[in-house]
Amino acid sequence: MIEFANVGLRYAQGPEILRDLSFRIDPGSFHFLTGPSGSGKTSLLKLLLLSLKPTRGNVTMFGEDVTSLDHDRLLLMRRHIGIVFQEFRLLDHLTTFENVALPLRVLGQPENQYRANVEELLEWVGLGERMDAHPALLSGGEKQRAAIARAVIGRPDILLADEPTGNLDPELSVRLVTLFAELNRTGTTIILATHELALLDSFEFPRMVLEDGALVFHD
Amino acid sequence: MTELPRSTRPRTAPIVPERSVAGRTLMLLIAIMTFLSAVTLGGVVLVQKSAIAWSSDVGREVTIQIKPVAGEVMESNLRLAVSLAESTPGVANAHALSLEESQNLLKPWLGAGLDLSTLEIPRLVAVQLSDPVDADIGRLQNDLKSIKGASLETHAAWRQQLNTMAGAVVVSGLLVLALIVMATVLAIIFATRGAMASNREIVDVLHFIGASNSFIAGEFQGRFLLIGFRGGIVGGLAAIAFFIAIALFAGNIGPTDAGAELGTLFGRFAIGWDGVVGIIAVIPVIAAMTAITSRLTVRRYLAQISS
Repeated sequence: MIEFANVGLRYAQGPEILRDLSFRIDPGSFHFLTGPSGSGKTSLLKLLLLSLKPTRGNVTMFGEDVTSLDHDRLLLMRRHIGIVFQEFRLLDHLTTFENVALPLRVLGQPENQYRANVEELLEWVGLGERMDAHPALLSGGEKQRAAIARAVIGRPDILLADEPTGNLDPELSVRLVTLFAELNRTGTTIILATHELALLDSFEFPRMVLEDGALVFHD
Repeated sequence: MTELPRSTRPRTAPIVPERSVAGRTLMLLIAIMTFLSAVTLGGVVLVQKSAIAWSSDVGREVTIQIKPVAGEVMESNLRLAVSLAESTPGVANAHALSLEESQNLLKPWLGAGLDLSTLEIPRLVAVQLSDPVDADIGRLQNDLKSIKGASLETHAAWRQQLNTMAGAVVVSGLLVLALIVMATVLAIIFATRGAMASNREIVDVLHFIGASNSFIAGEFQGRFLLIGFRGGIVGGLAAIAFFIAIALFAGNIGPTDAGAELGTLFGRFAIGWDGVVGIIAVIPVIAAMTAITSRLTVRRYLAQISS
């Protein structure tokens, strides 16, 4: 599903942030991406989200070399990838329902077509009673569950999460990763970036460890 | 918070919130620009209409002037001039101005109550043309050589001056219109760029959930189209109200001499239905210009941040 071959990344004329990354992610797998702050986790996620192109090497996703794709093809491929951020990035003027439905609205689907699906998903993540609340009225955990729901409403093949538990307490963090694990059981490939060791130890998923721009796999 | 029943749930909110675009300021600016455009357009229409009407009126009349010459009988020369004029092809009728009519013409310069009967003043014959294009003015000019002191005034120099002046006013008006449009476009570009910068978070979120640049541009364009329409309607209606007020004002002073002189110079001060239609047409043009300008600005902005 995802294959990196000798991938390197640098910003402008700066030093290489990521060096010689070569790995393969199989469909339906769950990986933690970890490493100290500044090790390049977010840059690697940006490469996986196709919002950055590598400065060298090849990235293959869904059987296509993404380094040579034009803007429109990248856009179509990006619709197969969901992303969850530490800071949630919900739109404050939209309700929980509208935030979660946004990826479908962007695809031009009418509300009557997606309403039932969005409501069902919000029930599943435990936000059935908070559909009409705006983000300002949601707790941190609720915001993150809304962000996850938004990331998966379009049924992406890959779900990326950048420190999704960074703003949550340990108990809530575990519950949230359990939610990711449930999504993984439905077939979604998940890469979850975190530097919380306690959280890593709570689950037995393989780890991708970034250190000084190089990547090591631990099963 | 409990879930609202579906029927009471508010309709889907716009992706680009109304308040996030400096809408009220921009709407006011577009309203002012529309007003200025419409007033300029109306002014140009007014001047052009008056010039055409005046030029046409003046063009339908030529004047024979007979200066007093010693040994010549003025009244008999006047009758001869009328008869020569009426026998000229293209002339509808000719009428010698009486002494009283001549006095009225001189009143603005010499004042009222002056007895001109003792003065030898040139006399005029007003010749109405039925067909200004085919009237044989050359023949009339030639025939008038038989009357001592007679000359023909075709008002050609006046008409040329009037047309030149009207043309200059129209060109100046169009130039002003072009400058207003340019200023409006620049203001919309600045407002759009400001809106994009302040809505960067929305743009980024839309990007990472897979929205195309054209979808994002469409969302912003819709917001700006609405602002353009509102501003255009306010400015256009204000311009129409302005012209109605001007027409009423001119109508109020109509019966006086000043009103008559204004009427002679500017016509009825009414831009007419075609002028009103022109002003109404400015509204969608301004709205479309706002939408297109903002769309192009958004597309360029998105291309910059995508690269």
